[in-house]
Amino acid sequence: MSIRSLAGILTTTIAFMAALPSYADGMPTFNLAIRAGRFVPEVIEVPANTKFRLLIKNEGPGAEEFESIELHKEKVLAPGASSFLIFQPLKPGAYKFFGDFHPMTAQGHFVAK
Amino acid sequence: MGNALFVVWRESVEAILVIGILYAWLKRNDSDGTGLRALWGGVAAGIGLAAALGWAMVAAQGELSGAALEWFQIAILFVASGLIVQMVPWMQSQGRRMKHNLERDMAQAVQRAGTLGIAIVAALAVAREGAETVVFLYGMGMEDNPGAGMASGAALGFLLAVLTAWALNRGLRFLGYRQFFRISGFLLLLFAVAFLATGVDRLIGMGWLPPLMDPVWDSSMLLDDTSPSGAVLAAFTGYRARPSLMLVAIYAAYWIGIMFAQRRLAHHG
Repeated sequence: MSIRSLAGILTTTIAFMAALPSYADGMPTFNLAIRAGRFVPEVIEVPANTKFRLLIKNEGPGAEEFESIELHKEKVLAPGASSFLIFQPLKPGAYKFFGDFHPMTAQGHFVAK
Repeated sequence: MGNALFVVWRESVEAILVIGILYAWLKRNDSDGTGLRALWGGVAAGIGLAAALGWAMVAAQGELSGAALEWFQIAILFVASGLIVQMVPWMQSQGRRMKHNLERDMAQAVQRAGTLGIAIVAALAVAREGAETVVFLYGMGMEDNPGAGMASGAALGFLLAVLTAWALNRGLRFLGYRQFFRISGFLLLLFAVAFLATGVDRLIGMGWLPPLMDPVWDSSMLLDDTSPSGAVLAAFTGYRARPSLMLVAIYAAYWIGIMFAQRRLAHHG
């Protein structure tokens, strides 16, 4: 693999991703706050078999890494930072997530119904 | 303290292992020390980049600036993965060349590109997890009870990560010449595919890449990636108990590509 083919791969990937700008539009959105090493709320009810967006705001004071191993999501949030994650349609059931920087207290789950 | 220890260990062990393998390889192959200098230069640049990126993550509070940073971090994953894939055959042919004692001059241009590759890979490996460590430590300072316990936990975690790499290096030292190249190359390729898998998952998480079908299967009954041992496997091999079709396809394409490249190298090397 040469530098040129590597650059080719990068360009293709970026072009491909740029072609999908509205991919995340028009889906239900849920809010999750992180406060002093805890999730608020700790249980989020989401519709089953529906793609959704999770807006995460870390209200501090510490940093947090939102993580769900079963749903392959991880996102580091500095104190005060907001971000989002897109979740693919879930089958009915419960799906755990946790705060990697405060694993003792920051525990929550989605309930897909 | 226990938590700070674990977080810092986990965030730094991957980069330190990559550096450890490159170091072990250079120790065997780098006669004049340029490679080692490149490696340490890369590590230093990586620490600088990690600090800058960590600062940007603290400063970028909004969703939009966060998305731009996410782009950057995902790009790091893909570039690091691609560079490692490119570097491993070079390292293998390099080892062979030394062994057969061929002319050095001819290899000099290749050598320069190769050592630059080593420096960049080291820098990206450090920057990637280092930035998250910076954010974590910054957040720790913001919390009301940071204290000396947390700081010593963080220091201990880093020390343990170094020890982990040292232990791996001791293990590699006992290997014969051929085995050493085979195993260190394979380990680097595993790191590359784990970077790739994380990058793909993050793209899917941002809604920038369709997962196609999610999940394709569920092997969590066999090996659960939420368990500690499964999580380690996930971090180092890209294993997922419930992978998306996109990830499986990219993972398969990766190893098939590597197999072809290795076969070609075996013929022409």
